[in-house]
Amino acid sequence: MPNAWLSTHLRAARPRVLAALNRAFGDINLAEDAFQEASLKAHRTWQRDALPKDPTAWLIIAGRNAAIDAFRKKRHETLTAPEDLEPLHEGPHPEEALTVKLDRAAYRDDVLRLLFTCCHPVLRRDQQIALALKIVAGLSVDEIARAFLIQPKTMEQRITRAKKRLQAAKLRYEEPDAKGRAERFSTVANAIYLLFNEGYSASQGSSLIRLTLCEEAIRLARLLVRLFPEEPELRGLLALCLLQHSRRKTRVCVDGDAITLEQQDRSGWDRRNIAEGTVLLEAALRKGTPGPLQVEAAIAATHAHAPSYEETDWVELDRLYRALEIIRPSPVVSLNRAVVIARLKGPEAALALLSGLAVPLERYASFHAARAAFQSDLGQTSAALKSYELALDHAGTEVERKHIRSKLETLGAKLNCGQDQDL
Amino acid sequence: MLFSVLIYASEDIMDAVSPEEHAEIMRHHRAFHEHTKTSKSFAAATKLMSTGTAVTVNKESGDYLVTDGPFAETKEQFMGFYLIDCPSLEDAIDTVKLLPLEYGRVEVRPVEYFEGADFNNAERLVIDAS
Repeated sequence: MPNAWLSTHLRAARPRVLAALNRAFGDINLAEDAFQEASLKAHRTWQRDALPKDPTAWLIIAGRNAAIDAFRKKRHETLTAPEDLEPLHEGPHPEEALTVKLDRAAYRDDVLRLLFTCCHPVLRRDQQIALALKIVAGLSVDEIARAFLIQPKTMEQRITRAKKRLQAAKLRYEEPDAKGRAERFSTVANAIYLLFNEGYSASQGSSLIRLTLCEEAIRLARLLVRLFPEEPELRGLLALCLLQHSRRKTRVCVDGDAITLEQQDRSGWDRRNIAEGTVLLEAALRKGTPGPLQVEAAIAATHAHAPSYEETDWVELDRLYRALEIIRPSPVVSLNRAVVIARLKGPEAALALLSGLAVPLERYASFHAARAAFQSDLGQTSAALKSYELALDHAGTEVERKHIRSKLETLGAKLNCGQDQDL
Repeated sequence: MLFSVLIYASEDIMDAVSPEEHAEIMRHHRAFHEHTKTSKSFAAATKLMSTGTAVTVNKESGDYLVTDGPFAETKEQFMGFYLIDCPSLEDAIDTVKLLPLEYGRVEVRPVEYFEGADFNNAERLVIDAS
């Protein structure tokens, strides 16, 4: 492949370079165009055996200068550029002057600011993910569109609208205080987990593209952990992604059907991912400031370390879900805890927990499916059938529907044998 | 003489390599393994987890201080090392040329003292993070 090494260098440098350009111009569009120009210049001038000493700094300067040139052309040179936009001297190694100024602390804050801009709360979730993939990860619009199973044109519009919304919001680029920083970390970490989940949970679309989403999320999480190792929620995020990712080869069978945790072949779980996720989580928990992602990672780790589904540490899981119900309460968390309670105390106790969730989870297929399973365990076959029907109504994907239909068939057969107790 | 072969590379770059490039990198490492094992110069191979997993332990006025991450953020990170037993520095340098040097920097440094775990009858000790 021609110039694969160059694409790799550009891909590796992209988040830091775009982050620095974004700070310099205060505008993501300008920064993106400038990066594009810098990349073209790199294609013309870089040689594999004689790379610039600091490719990242080289790209920042080239991008900066390209943007200033464009700016001047637009103004017909009638106006002089503001002093701080003067092009830097381009000697044989122009990046050296900048290298001194760009200490690592500046990179850190720039990257955080860039990611926070892409995942800004004024944007919808789907816009956040699309922008992060386009701008920070550098995926093409076509690639992103394919991952979300929509037309490239629709994706293009989504990204353009997101950028317009950012411009309209007139984001300020000053340094946030400690509370603002914590909010940024949390927003960015959640958006990256969302991106990971997009690849992980959706069962439609080419599995290769789905895998790309998971891998890009992990790459972003790794970058953040490298820049901010002292932030336990970021390590929690990376741990969670790696622990979930460890199961990627066992979650879907050849014909595309989802395989439940209970039925997965645990020998196919990636032990390296599990080892790295586990030690990251341990390092994060040492700080004594657990957050939702650390707790979720602990849940994933508990599953990852169980030799079999039957031998899962349900007591520990109950404790972790309780913690999550306090830190970040949601009906879905309670639903998950109900599944654990079914293991610990039986289906009756689990059903009792579910009764409080019927309203908020009315349209949630997994709720009805869980309820159906508990009812079926209690021999309430016709109630279970009704619940499965509801689950079928609310299932979002064909794979989900297929799974529920097979449950329905098994139950239907049971009903015909006259085993139902609540008729 | 025992030499350590210390490998430094940018994690940003290693995270960004394409699957094809990754296969190419692994091909080099396999060639290194094969050569050193055939010539009986192989002593050890260690690949470290990402620097994100690291903590640094210090002692300051009598207190242990554990900080997160490696000691300093640098452009290149220490990725792992080989130990090879070669008759001369020249020989060690030649062997190291088998590694994917386009992707990182390799430092060859003689070992003053080495002791490994106790393993029976040349049965190799392999720990694969699992």
